[in-house]
Amino acid sequence: MMQPLFGAPEPSSRTYWHPGADVLSGYAEGAVDEIGRWSVETHLQSCSACRAAVSAHVDRARLARNRAVVLAMTATPDVGVLSRAASRCGIPDHVLRLMAATPSLRRSWLLAVVGVLTVVTGEAVLARDLWPGGGRVVAGGAGRPGLTELAPFLLVGPLLALAGVAAAFLPVLDPSYRLAVAAPISGVRLLLIRSLSALLGALMPVVCAAVVMPGPSWLPVAVLLPSLAVCAIALAALTTVGPTTAVIAAGAAWVAPLVWLGVTRFPAEVIQGDGQILSALVLIVATLVMYLRRDRLEMGLVR
Amino acid sequence: MTGNTHDAAAVRVEGLSRRYGDVRALDAVDVTLDRGITGLLGPNGAGKTTLLSILATVNEPDAGLVSVFGLNPRDRSERVEIRRRLGFLPQELGYHRHFTVAAFLDYVAILKEIVDRRRRAEEVARVLAAVGMERFGRRRIRTLSGGYRQRLAIAQALLGSPQLLILDEPTAGLDTEQRLRFRELLSNQPGDPVVVLSTHQADDVAAICPRVVVMLEGRIAFTGTPAALADRADGHVWIADERDERAYVSWRDSENRWRHIGERPPGGRDIVTPSVEDGYLLLCHAADAR
Repeated sequence: MMQPLFGAPEPSSRTYWHPGADVLSGYAEGAVDEIGRWSVETHLQSCSACRAAVSAHVDRARLARNRAVVLAMTATPDVGVLSRAASRCGIPDHVLRLMAATPSLRRSWLLAVVGVLTVVTGEAVLARDLWPGGGRVVAGGAGRPGLTELAPFLLVGPLLALAGVAAAFLPVLDPSYRLAVAAPISGVRLLLIRSLSALLGALMPVVCAAVVMPGPSWLPVAVLLPSLAVCAIALAALTTVGPTTAVIAAGAAWVAPLVWLGVTRFPAEVIQGDGQILSALVLIVATLVMYLRRDRLEMGLVR
Repeated sequence: MTGNTHDAAAVRVEGLSRRYGDVRALDAVDVTLDRGITGLLGPNGAGKTTLLSILATVNEPDAGLVSVFGLNPRDRSERVEIRRRLGFLPQELGYHRHFTVAAFLDYVAILKEIVDRRRRAEEVARVLAAVGMERFGRRRIRTLSGGYRQRLAIAQALLGSPQLLILDEPTAGLDTEQRLRFRELLSNQPGDPVVVLSTHQADDVAAICPRVVVMLEGRIAFTGTPAALADRADGHVWIADERDERAYVSWRDSENRWRHIGERPPGGRDIVTPSVEDGYLLLCHAADAR
């Protein structure tokens, strides 16, 4: 590949061989194999004559195109620490970028969620520490210490998860909604990518809040199933009604029994034995509905 | 089913109807669209956006048939195939304002199933160059002026070199030079795509559209060449020193004389050669008079 020199070597040059004109033109056009490319590049570092010769062979239009591509790539950098962690878990780059457009995964949204949970948690802690009886006074609930003050958290936790998921598909929160609908990407896939990532994003602070809440140690686990069930109701309802109605229906499906239990019996029952079984059943049924009516889920974006 | 991408009539619409409550947005619309640029003219509320959104598969008709490259948008797999060939600029395109220009285009490229990062970057670079925004890749969208946002909107529609380009009022917000560049850009699209251009600007239609469709009150009022539309007003446009109350529309021209459009005036008036806009205004008046 290396040919006898066609010009005198530089005094500082350590080589007495130069690539031929055909090799240099092939290198400029990207037609040289990898080993040849290394050889030429090593040589170019120490030979200004060959660098000048390569310049003469460079296709300026191609160079400009490549420059534009590099600029475009650097203008779309990696999308944050969490995304880099997700990338290490094997989530493809393009999926991460779809997630980055989900409003409920934005920092401002997550901060708002943390803010709400801080208020609710703080209220529960104050109720426990400042109210007579240290929060162990339970209306009609003797033997269930520390559960009464959980009511605000029980109301808010699953609703925050629902809000996060709703933000992943509500047209009013997606400025490029029409572009997403008109694109060939699977509507179901897009919906699930966004919803699941939003759900994870919302559940993490909810579970963390449950850990520091002045309730039973099983609270972080107990709040998971109802939260998943409420979000699944919203997604299943999307196969039948519009996005806003679906969210309202799912929210009502959580708030109504909670309020009813609060008035008539004991609000924390909603996350205890029977409540968990009911949540599991709702989750299974809603998932089945989503699967069986997935065509309508796709069309749900078209309304 | 795979559609023939070189049908004589690439897009065919028959008996298309769509209602929003009591409002009839489309009323048994029949139209065919060939390759090349078709201008879609009509006043606000004429049904242009509804028709375009149905062609772009983001809306469904109540009745009627739509065929795009021989594909039926009611069929799920064929609808996806239409979307693979589609570039769509909606009338009101929102942006993720925290995105940079390049990140937004990258996101839309992913929606268009371009998953390879290098290929996405090539497409982003290509469309940015096409709309003259090569240096704007790193700019946040919220810092762009209205004209540049509209250019960005056009750029996203060009991603993937679509065979069907649906542009709903793409020149809104563009200044004169940008509109001229847009005309040049649209005229140089590779692959002879079907381009449907909805606009209020009759001069855009006259400049670049070999074919024009006028919609009025949810119906097709005219289909033909811009010259044929202008001919509709032949003998109905005249100039006079004084305003003629019998004219449907009158305005002062650049020479400070009154240009009138209306029924043929009595003798002694200066009949002038009508423009596309004159033909369009005459059609609009005829619809209003009904």
